[in-house]
Amino acid sequence: MSDAATMVRMRGVVKGYGDGATRVEVLRGLDLDVRAGELLAVVGPSGVGKSTLLHVVGLLDRPEAGTLELEGARVTDASVNDRASLRNRLIGFVFQHHHLLDELTALDNVALPLRIAGWSSRRARQRAAELLDRVGLSERRDHFPDQLSGGEQQRVAVARALSMRPRLLLADEPTGNLDTANSRLLFELVRELHLLEGLTSIIVTHNEEMARRCDRVVGLVPGGGRTDHVREV
Amino acid sequence: MRVEFHLARRYLVGVGRRTHVATVTLISFIGLTLGVLALIVVLALLEGFQSGIRSELVARTAHARIEPREGRRLADPAELASLLQAKLPDAEIVQTVRGTCLVESGGDAVPASLVGRSDVSEAAIDRILAVRLAVASGDDVEVISARLRLTPMGPLPVRARVHLNAVQAPEPGRESGSLIVPLATAQRILWGGDVVEAITLRDPADPWRLGRRVRDLLVKTRPDVRVAGLEELHRPLLLALTLERVMIFAAVGLMLVVAALNLLCNVAMLAAEKRRDLAVLAGLGLAPARLRRLFLVMGTCIGAAAATVGTVIGATLAVGLDRTGALPLPRGVFVVSAVPFSVSPVTVAVVIAFALGLSVLVSWLPARAVARREPAEGLRYE
Repeated sequence: MSDAATMVRMRGVVKGYGDGATRVEVLRGLDLDVRAGELLAVVGPSGVGKSTLLHVVGLLDRPEAGTLELEGARVTDASVNDRASLRNRLIGFVFQHHHLLDELTALDNVALPLRIAGWSSRRARQRAAELLDRVGLSERRDHFPDQLSGGEQQRVAVARALSMRPRLLLADEPTGNLDTANSRLLFELVRELHLLEGLTSIIVTHNEEMARRCDRVVGLVPGGGRTDHVREV
Repeated sequence: MRVEFHLARRYLVGVGRRTHVATVTLISFIGLTLGVLALIVVLALLEGFQSGIRSELVARTAHARIEPREGRRLADPAELASLLQAKLPDAEIVQTVRGTCLVESGGDAVPASLVGRSDVSEAAIDRILAVRLAVASGDDVEVISARLRLTPMGPLPVRARVHLNAVQAPEPGRESGSLIVPLATAQRILWGGDVVEAITLRDPADPWRLGRRVRDLLVKTRPDVRVAGLEELHRPLLLALTLERVMIFAAVGLMLVVAALNLLCNVAMLAAEKRRDLAVLAGLGLAPARLRRLFLVMGTCIGAAAATVGTVIGATLAVGLDRTGALPLPRGVFVVSAVPFSVSPVTVAVVIAFALGLSVLVSWLPARAVARREPAEGLRYE
């Protein structure tokens, strides 16, 4: 049974790649609960399935078996349109590589989820400008991604992830390409927004310091198993 | 839909240093534009020549013809002509007979058509026959009919001397040569009595529908006659013209198909190059149908722009060449002095529809593949 305080519930989730002899099963019967408002860190060695876990939770990929519930609603078998709508309204993504669209300015990149949701250009750009201001990039709004530094690109990506006021933030090694100082700044920004916006956040990271500052740490081990490391905040 | 247009524009036009896609797009655009331009110009040229032929048909042949269903004698021709004249006051109505005969001059006799017309009061010879017999206006010729008459010396062909008052252009499509004489003269030579074989009608104000109007008039009152309009009278020629148009369209249209295949490569390349972006867009909530639409919009925009530019340049070129007579034709060989071009709105619409249809079709294939991918596939690819 799910309860309202559980944002994410995964039961027996299986996900692998390839067929026959070349098949690699990354997640093998994974169970995971994430409470609403929780800041969860997912750690583990490369190739263990951290990104796959995030893709499944973020409805970017379908599990081969098992169930996934978001806010108590089963979404495993949702239609492609419902999944797209949930990604737009409920979930914000921050990727390791910023994944901003090169042809759009910082402002247009942040406004993109709003435009997809049907907002008018003017309203979307207004909201995007507010968000860029919050992440300290109001002066860089008309710059294209390749005119921004790595740290700035990730801050734009964070602003884009929050543009639709999502309730679930998924970040896949958001500081993976940043230096120590920028990593720290970005994590502080994400943490601050997590608290201010009342988000549930799952962050995949290799950064132990960052993981320690999260509410809870989940470690994935090769073979699809899982060990929990719960720490008092 | 607006965000799809917004993204399509950004991808196609190229922003900042991202000009690679824009360059390839430009090449596809130029290919399609040239295809549309070529199709418009070639079809305008064809239409120019064909409309000349159709104008000749309208100017110099009957627009409708009434014949008996059985036999060669038309019953009550005078009554029928009066009825038609009353119902169609603007039409020119002519009673005719036609037959084959020998025409002799200076010892040479050549086979020819003898045409008797109620609207003719003096004999005329067409240019083909005049050249064959080496006669001119003012000369006399001897007409020898296939009809025999009994004489004390036995059956002899009916002969008549005809004074030529004019030499005129031949009827379109007739190469045997004709002698045109008053109806009574022809009746006497061919039939020996006042037989009428057909009634022909002309209405320059509405030539192509005259046949149907006459048919509607006579359908109940004269079941013994058969009415043929312009299209029935010249069916083989008009069919040949249509076939020519279709074949030229198909041949030159292949150029457009090749250009469209280039567009397919462009859109497919865009789909591969932007695989990560597409996954991100899907991740941000753009549904598969809208991703598909994004590619359709891109392909259609290129096709629409190329169709517009190609049509404008092609039509301007064709109209300019037609008005200036920049491509002269040898005199005496063609009726017209310069290559004629005629831009028909229907042809333009068909070419534009063809170009747009191809663009949508070739964009749909990669669009379909893109929409089927799970977003994570594109992100893993990265």
